[in-house]
Amino acid sequence: MARYLARRLVTLVGIVIIISVGAFYLIHLLPGDPATVILGTGDSPQNRARLYAQLGLNRPIIEQYFVWMKNVLHGNLGISFISQVPVWTTIRAALPIDLEMIVLSQILSFAVAIPLAMSSAKRPDSWLDRFLGAFSFTMLSIPAFILVVVLVLVVAIKLAVPHTGVSSYVPLSQDWVTNLESMALPSIVLAIGSVTVYYRVLRSDLIATLQQEYITLARSKGISQRRILWRHALRPSSVALLGTAGVNIGGLLAGGFIVQYLLDIPGLGYTLVNSIGLSDYLVVQGIVLVVSIGVIVINFVFDFLITLVDPRIARE
Amino acid sequence: MSDETLLRVREVTTTFDTPQGRLTAVDGVSFDLAAHESVGVVGESGSGKTVLSRTIMGLQPRRGVSVTGSVLLNGTEVVGATEEAKRELWGRQVAMVFQDPMTSLNPVVKVGRQIDEVLRVRLGMDRSAARARAIELLEMVGIPAAVTRYGAYPHSLSGGMRQRVVIAIALAGSPQLLLADEPTTGLDVTIQAQILNLLDEVQGRLGMSMILVTHDLGVVATRTTRLVVMYAGRVVETGTTRDVFARHRMPYTRALLESSPKVSNPSHTRLAAIPGRPPNLLDLPTGCAFAPRCAYATDRCTSERPVLEPADEPGHLFACFNPLPLRVGSPS
Repeated sequence: MARYLARRLVTLVGIVIIISVGAFYLIHLLPGDPATVILGTGDSPQNRARLYAQLGLNRPIIEQYFVWMKNVLHGNLGISFISQVPVWTTIRAALPIDLEMIVLSQILSFAVAIPLAMSSAKRPDSWLDRFLGAFSFTMLSIPAFILVVVLVLVVAIKLAVPHTGVSSYVPLSQDWVTNLESMALPSIVLAIGSVTVYYRVLRSDLIATLQQEYITLARSKGISQRRILWRHALRPSSVALLGTAGVNIGGLLAGGFIVQYLLDIPGLGYTLVNSIGLSDYLVVQGIVLVVSIGVIVINFVFDFLITLVDPRIARE
Repeated sequence: MSDETLLRVREVTTTFDTPQGRLTAVDGVSFDLAAHESVGVVGESGSGKTVLSRTIMGLQPRRGVSVTGSVLLNGTEVVGATEEAKRELWGRQVAMVFQDPMTSLNPVVKVGRQIDEVLRVRLGMDRSAARARAIELLEMVGIPAAVTRYGAYPHSLSGGMRQRVVIAIALAGSPQLLLADEPTTGLDVTIQAQILNLLDEVQGRLGMSMILVTHDLGVVATRTTRLVVMYAGRVVETGTTRDVFARHRMPYTRALLESSPKVSNPSHTRLAAIPGRPPNLLDLPTGCAFAPRCAYATDRCTSERPVLEPADEPGHLFACFNPLPLRVGSPS
C-alpha cells in the first residue's frame, strides 16, 4: 500500500511540472499584452520598456519560467500585474465556490444515479430501464451551457424562483440558505451531466454483479432485495463508478467554468476567463496550477477510495 | 405425508426459456426426504441435478424459468410461492452449500460479516452476540484462528477454508434441510474428503436432513441412505444407497458406477467412460433419453419412454425396458 501511494505521488509531481510548463508557454503565446492593459494603447515605447523591465517580462521566457517556479516552490504565486492583489488571495477567495459547486453536484449525482441504476439493474429491459436508458442518453448529449440557459429561462424567469438567475450569487459566509439557493441551479446543471454518466456505468456493472454466484448465496440467506443491492451488489460494482467519478471531476471543473461565467458566479473559472482577457499572466498561471493539482489530488483520492471498496485491488 | 417426512417433491418440472427455445432441465421428478435423512442426487453434468436442488429451494432466477409440480417443505409449498414467502424459508428452514467457493463468497465483504448477516437479519441477534456466534460457527466448521479469520476477506483464504465458510453461512440459521450442490467440485482432491466428512458430521450433529448433489457415486456411497439417479432431467433409478449400488437395474446407473474411480482398483486401471454425450435438452428423443448411448437399447427404447417401475426391493424404482439382470450371488 505504501509503495502504491509513493508511486502515485511521483506521478503526481511529474504531471504538475508538465502542466505548469504547458500553462506558462500557452499564456505567453496568446495575443494580448499586460503592458497594453496597464498603460493603454497610446503610451510611449519607453514607458512600455520600463514596465516590461519592472515586471521581468523582458527576460528570456525560460528564465521567466524558472523565476516563477522558484517563487511558487517558496509558496509565492506572485502579485497580479493588473489588480496588485496577491494571486493567492484571489484564488483563496474563489476556490471555495468551485469546491462547493463540485461537492453539491456530486452529492446530488450519486444520490440520484445510485437508486436509478439499481432500479434499472433489478429488471434489465423493463420499461423503466428502457426509459432511463433513452432519457440518460438524451441528457448526455445536451451540453451544460444549453442546460444553464434553459434552466435560467424556466426556473429564474418563468417561475421566478428567487436567487436562481444570473448574478444572484450570495457568498456562503453571508447567508448559507440564500447561498444554497443561489448554488442550486449551477449544481443541478453540473449534476445532470454526472448523473447520466454514473447511471450508465453503475447500471451495467450492477447487472454483471447481480449474475454472480455470491448474489445467489446472499439471496439464499433470505435477506431482502434491498439489502442485497445495497450491501452485496453496490460495493463490488462501484470500482468503475469511482474511477469514472475521479476522471469526471476534471471535466466538471471545465463545465463549471462555463456555468460560472454564464451565471456570474465569482469562482475560479470566472476569474480565469477574466484574467485571460486582461493578460494577467500570474493569476492565470496560478489558477491553472492550483486546478491541475486539485484534479490530480481528486483522482488520487478516488483511486484510494477504490482500494477501500475492493480490498483485492490494494494487493498488487 | 407422514410426520417424519420433511420434504415431499412431486412431479416437479423446471423449464427455461432460452433463445433456442424451451429447455426442460428437470422433468417430473418425485421423491421424499425424511427428517434427519440424507439423500444423494447423482448424475452427469447437465442431468438437471443442480437445477433440481435450486428448484427445491425455490432459488431459480426470477425470470425465464417456470416450475410446475409441488415441493412441500415442512408443510410449506415452495412452487409458486412469492419471493417474500420463500425468504422466510431460506436460511432458517433450508440452506444451500454452493458448488464453487471461489465465486460464492462476496469478495468485498469480510467473511465474518457474511456469516453474521444471517444471524443479525434473520435471527435478530445484536452485533456482539452475532459476532460471538459467527466465531463459534467458524470454529465448528474447523477454521483455525477463528477470531482472526472473522475479519478476513475471502481472497486471503484457501479454497477449502472458503468452502468451510460457505458451510458456516449455511448452518448459521440452523436449517432443517441442507442442500449441498456439488460441494467439493471446485476443491483439491485432498480437501474434498475433509469437506464431505465435515458435512456428514454437522448433518448428524445438528440433526439436519441433507440432499447431497454430486456426479461422483463414490461421494454418496457412505454418506447417504438413499439415492436418486438422474438422467436428462428425469429420475431413472432410485432406492436405498445399498440397493442402487448392489442391485441396480438401469444400465445408466451401472455406467455411472463403472466410471467412478475406486481405490480398490489396481493402479493404472483404465477408467470406463460412458460412450457418447448427454443429450441436448432442447431436443430430447421421444423414447428413453439414454437409449442412444445404451448397449442394451432396443427399438422400443427409441420409440417409447420407460416410466419408473418398482423393483423387487421396497422403495427401489427404475425406468428401463431392458433392466440389467441381478447378478447371481450379489450381496443383498
